[in-house]
Amino acid sequence: MTHRAHRDQAPDTGVTYVFAVCRGTRATRTADVTGLVGMPGGAAVRLLPSGPLTAVVQTVPAADFTDEVWQSRLSDPREIERYARAHHEVVSAAAAHGPAVPLPLATLYHDDDRARRALDDEAHRFHRVLKRIAHHAEWGVKVYEPATAPEVAEPVTVGGGGLEAPAAGAGLAYLNRRRGVQERREQRRERALSVAESVDAELREVAAASRRLRTHGAVPGGDGRVHVLNATYLVAEHRSEELGVLVRGLGERTGAMIELTGPWVPYSFVGEV
Amino acid sequence: MTDLDFRQGGPPPANGPGTTNLADILERVLDKGIVIAGDIKIDLLDIELLTIRLRLFVASVDTAKKAGIDWWETDPALSSRASRNALEDENRRLRERLQALEPATDEDRDPGPDRSARRTDSKETGQR
Repeated sequence: MTHRAHRDQAPDTGVTYVFAVCRGTRATRTADVTGLVGMPGGAAVRLLPSGPLTAVVQTVPAADFTDEVWQSRLSDPREIERYARAHHEVVSAAAAHGPAVPLPLATLYHDDDRARRALDDEAHRFHRVLKRIAHHAEWGVKVYEPATAPEVAEPVTVGGGGLEAPAAGAGLAYLNRRRGVQERREQRRERALSVAESVDAELREVAAASRRLRTHGAVPGGDGRVHVLNATYLVAEHRSEELGVLVRGLGERTGAMIELTGPWVPYSFVGEV
Repeated sequence: MTDLDFRQGGPPPANGPGTTNLADILERVLDKGIVIAGDIKIDLLDIELLTIRLRLFVASVDTAKKAGIDWWETDPALSSRASRNALEDENRRLRERLQALEPATDEDRDPGPDRSARRTDSKETGQR
């Protein structure tokens, strides 16, 4: 890993990648970010103070962070994973001792001064968001429709002899059976969706804010679970235990499979302020 | 204030790094941060599409390979080459529609350069 002094970064070789924005240096300590790898190929992750705000930044090689390079990076799932996890790791570390506003992956400035200026321009927004997310964490909740039970194998009854015509009404019976399968499937789905709605309603009661994310659907080759709710909640720290208890209770009460992830840095609750 | 709470948003210490679901990370790091303009414009494509496709990719690449499915090679969200093809296709379709709507104006006009808009953003640094 290359360590470059902050001063001598030539503008045409290094650009400033901003991970997150925190309150003054006292809230985020250099120790929180030292040793982090950050973006592959970048210099050391460091703090960039700007007035009452502090950004967590890294100087990265300009040539590796152009739109073109990102486009090819985005066509390689392993690369996306590598960069996304690297970003996430730094953001999480930045929030270790106080609120941190995460910036989206690949937020880049020509140099530190440009980054500072952007922070200054948006300072009031950052302060508002920092206030909102202080002492809060984000929790993801996913509700799954249980795996489809294998349908009862349909008895193949085509009369006694092989060449005889099927008994009268066999076609109708077949259609009715198919219709029954379809109806049961729809009922199951409706039940799962209504469970999802009530889970969401109850969780919103303990949350300061909530958002619905797109459901993941069924994963081909997966375990057959169907994802019916993907929601995320901003929850005060002192209520996180309550949330956990509630999720467990909801799972037992509804029989649905409910997955709780977190606590996350409140990624989903910093954009709309 | 519990430091632990925030810290665990990353890879939970108990499970070690890499265990946090990539899909969960992606739908958070890609476009959920505060909206602030960077100097260098990075077009992360359709985020929702990308995360969904990636999720499918991660989960099913082996299954799909066995089944002989190779959609990701022509999927705009996963292949920059396919992305170009898709844009060209879309442009061609739009031109066709335009010609259908305005048949009188120009019968055999050369399509001219396309897809210039995306790359000529003034904010883009243009490093190669």
